Amino acid sequence: MSDVSIEAPAQSAKPTIFFDGVSSRRRQVMLTFSDALEIAEDGKALARWAYADIRRADGPAGVLRLACTTGSPLARLEIRDAALAADVTARCLHLDDHQTTRRGIAKIVGWSVAAAVSIVCVVLFGVPLAADRLAPLVPKPVERRIGDAAEVQMKTIFGRSVCEDPAGKAAFIKLVNRLRDAAGLDDDSMTAGVLPTSVPNAFALPGGKVFVLKGLLDKAESPDELAGILAHELGHLKHYDNMRGLIYNGGTSFLIGLLFGDVTGSSAVIFASRSVVEASYSREAETAADTFAIEIMHKLGRSPKPAAELMFRITGKEGGSTLTTILASHPLTEDRLARMTREDRPASGPPLLTDKEWQSLKLVCGSGKV
Amino acid sequence: MNNMQWTPIGSEPLPPPLPPTRVDFTGNRPEFRKLVTKGAVLELVTFGFYRFWLVTDIRRHLWTHTAIDGDAAEYTGRAKELLVGFLFALAILVPIYLAYFLVGIEFERWQGFASAPLFLAFYAFGQFAIFRARRYRLTRTVWRGVRFWMDGSGWAYSLRAMLWGLLVFLTLGLALPWREAALERYKMQHTHYGDLSGDFEGDGWTFFKRGWWLWLLSPVALVIFPLAPFFYAEFKAREWRWWLDGIRIGGVSLSSELPHDAFYGLYWKVIGWWTLLSMIFAAYLGGATMLVVRLTGLPAEQVFGPENGAGSIPMLVAMVVGYFAVALAVNIVMRVYLQRDLWAKVLETVEVYNVAAAADVRGSGQLASALGEGFADGLDVAGF
Repeated sequence: MSDVSIEAPAQSAKPTIFFDGVSSRRRQVMLTFSDALEIAEDGKALARWAYADIRRADGPAGVLRLACTTGSPLARLEIRDAALAADVTARCLHLDDHQTTRRGIAKIVGWSVAAAVSIVCVVLFGVPLAADRLAPLVPKPVERRIGDAAEVQMKTIFGRSVCEDPAGKAAFIKLVNRLRDAAGLDDDSMTAGVLPTSVPNAFALPGGKVFVLKGLLDKAESPDELAGILAHELGHLKHYDNMRGLIYNGGTSFLIGLLFGDVTGSSAVIFASRSVVEASYSREAETAADTFAIEIMHKLGRSPKPAAELMFRITGKEGGSTLTTILASHPLTEDRLARMTREDRPASGPPLLTDKEWQSLKLVCGSGKV
Repeated sequence: MNNMQWTPIGSEPLPPPLPPTRVDFTGNRPEFRKLVTKGAVLELVTFGFYRFWLVTDIRRHLWTHTAIDGDAAEYTGRAKELLVGFLFALAILVPIYLAYFLVGIEFERWQGFASAPLFLAFYAFGQFAIFRARRYRLTRTVWRGVRFWMDGSGWAYSLRAMLWGLLVFLTLGLALPWREAALERYKMQHTHYGDLSGDFEGDGWTFFKRGWWLWLLSPVALVIFPLAPFFYAEFKAREWRWWLDGIRIGGVSLSSELPHDAFYGLYWKVIGWWTLLSMIFAAYLGGATMLVVRLTGLPAEQVFGPENGAGSIPMLVAMVVGYFAVALAVNIVMRVYLQRDLWAKVLETVEVYNVAAAADVRGSGQLASALGEGFADGLDVAGF
C-alpha cells in the first residue's frame, strides 16, 4: 500500500499511460511494485509484468516506454514522471538486454569483414579456377549458341554482312585453314569472315568464329602480318578464352555486386573494382594467346614479328582513339613488339598466300571505302 | 440522423467541429546527425553490410519522435529481418538473373539487342518490391499499441503499375498524376490500422491541376540547368501535399498546408554541399597527383597511364580513399537533409482530423516478412 501512495502525487502531475496491445485505448494507470510490476486502471488489474521480463522500447525524450517479453507483444507502458521512471529502471535489471551493444556492432563489423574477405578471395582465386576448369566443359552447342548471339550483336554494330568477293574470300579461307591446321583446332563449326567497317580490329567469338574488320585488313601490308593477328585470335579459341571470360566476368560482377548489395551491378564502385580485377585477367589471356600465335607462326615457318609491327602501326598512329580500345587493352606495343622481335626467325616455310591471293584478299570488300 | 439530409447544406445545425490535431516531430537534429555519421562510417568498414542496421536506426529515430495526438509512434522492425529478407531475395533473384542471361542469349541469336525488353521483367519485380517493402514498414509501425498492416497482392500491384507505366510512357508523362492516384488508392485501400481500413481520396485531376505547368516547363530545365532543382522541389512539395490530403484511415483524415516552395532550401543545401565536396575532392586529387609526381619523379601523364602499373598504385589508393570519403560525406548530407529535415518539414504542416475515431481500435493483422525490402535492396529501387 505504501508503494501506491508514492505513486499518487506523481500520477496527478504526469500520467502514466498503458496501452494493452489489444486495443488502442489510452489507459491512465497506477503502478504497484510488488514482486512484479502491477498495472491497474481504476483499481482493476490490467497486467502484471515480472521485472526480469521488462524491456525498454523506443520512446521519445522524457518518456520511459516499456514492453514485456512475456506479455502481449505490443503492450506498452509509458512513464512520464522522471522519479517514477528512475524507480522502475532500478528494479528492471534486464531493461537493455535486447539493445545492440558495442560488442554487437563489433560482431557485425567482424562478420562483414569476414564475408568481404571470403568474397574477395573467391573473386581472386576461386572464380579464375572455376572459369579455367569449367570453360572446356561447356558443351559445344551451348558455346555455339552464345557465339551466334554475339555474332548477331557484332554485325549490328559493325554493319550488314560479311564481305563476299569470291576470290578474296577464297584467299581468306585458305589463310585461315592453314593457320587452323597448324593450331590443331577441330573444324566442325569454324567460321571466319571479313566485316566491312573501318575499325582496325579482329576478334574471336565462342563456337569458333573469327572475324577480321576491314580496317585491319587495309592496314596490313603482308599476309604474315594478318596471319599473326589471326593466329592470336585462334589462340583465344584454343584456350576457351571467351567462355572463360564469360564465366569469369559473370562470376566476379555477381560476387562483387553481392558484396555491395546490388545484384544487377550498376554502381561506380562495382564498375571500378571489376575493371581493375578483369584487366589483369584479360592481360594474362592475351599474353597466352601471343605465345600461341608465336608457336603457330614458327610451326608454319614464318616470323611472328610482322603481326606485332602491324599492331604497333595501328596503335602508334591511332593511340587514344576509343575505337581501337580492344587492341589497345592488350599488353601492348613495346613489350609485345620486343617479344615478337626476339622470336623473329628467317622464313623457313612457303609464303602463306601468293601475291595474287593477297591482292584479292585486300579487295574482298570491294575497292570502295566503307 | 438521416432526416438531417433533408435540410439544405449550410443551414444544418452542425456541432462545433473538433479542432484538428497536429503532428509533432521532436527529434533532435545533432542526435540524428551523430547517428548517421556513425552509421556511414560503419557502413564503410563493413562494405555496406551495416546498411540494414543504419536504415533500422534511422527509422526508429524518425518514428519514435513523431507524435500524433500526443502519442509517439514506434518502429518495431529489426535489422536482422532486413538481412534475412535480403538473403531470401538473393536466393530468388539469383536463378532469375541466370534465367535472364540464358533467355537473353536466345533473344540475341534471333536479333541483335532484342533482349533489351527483358528489363521489363526486372521493372515488374521492382514494383512488386515497392509494394512489399511498404507492407513491411507498415507492419512494423505501431501507434498506441496497435500496428498498421496491409493486405492485397504485390503482383496485382505490379501489374497495375506496369499498365499505368505504359500509359504514362505513351502520354509522355501527362498521365503520371492518374497513375500515382490509382496506385496510391490500391495501396491505401489495402492499408489498415487495427480494424480501421484506409483509403485514398486524392484524384489525378487535382494533382494534374497543381502541377501541369511543371510538365510544360520541364524542357526549359534541361536547357537552363539551375532551374531543375526548383522545378523538382516544386513538384515534390505539390506531390507530398496532394498525397497527404488524400489519406484516410477509418474516420481519420489528414490535410497538409505544405507550401509549394517548402523544399527549395533543402535541395539547394544538398547541392551546395555536393559542390563543396566535389571541389574538395578535386583539390585533393590534384594535391595527391602532385605529391606522387614529386615523390616518384614520373611525369603526370605517366602516373595515370595504364602501362605504368607500379607508379599508379599510390595514385589509385589515394583516389579510392578520397572517393570513399566523399561518398561517406554525401551519404550523411543526403540523410540529414533529404530524410530527417524533409520529414520534419512535411510533418509540421500536417493536421489530423477526427483522431478520436482511432481512440479505441482493436488490433489485428499479421507481420509481413522483409522479403520486399530485400528485393528493393537487391534491385536498387526506392519507393514509399
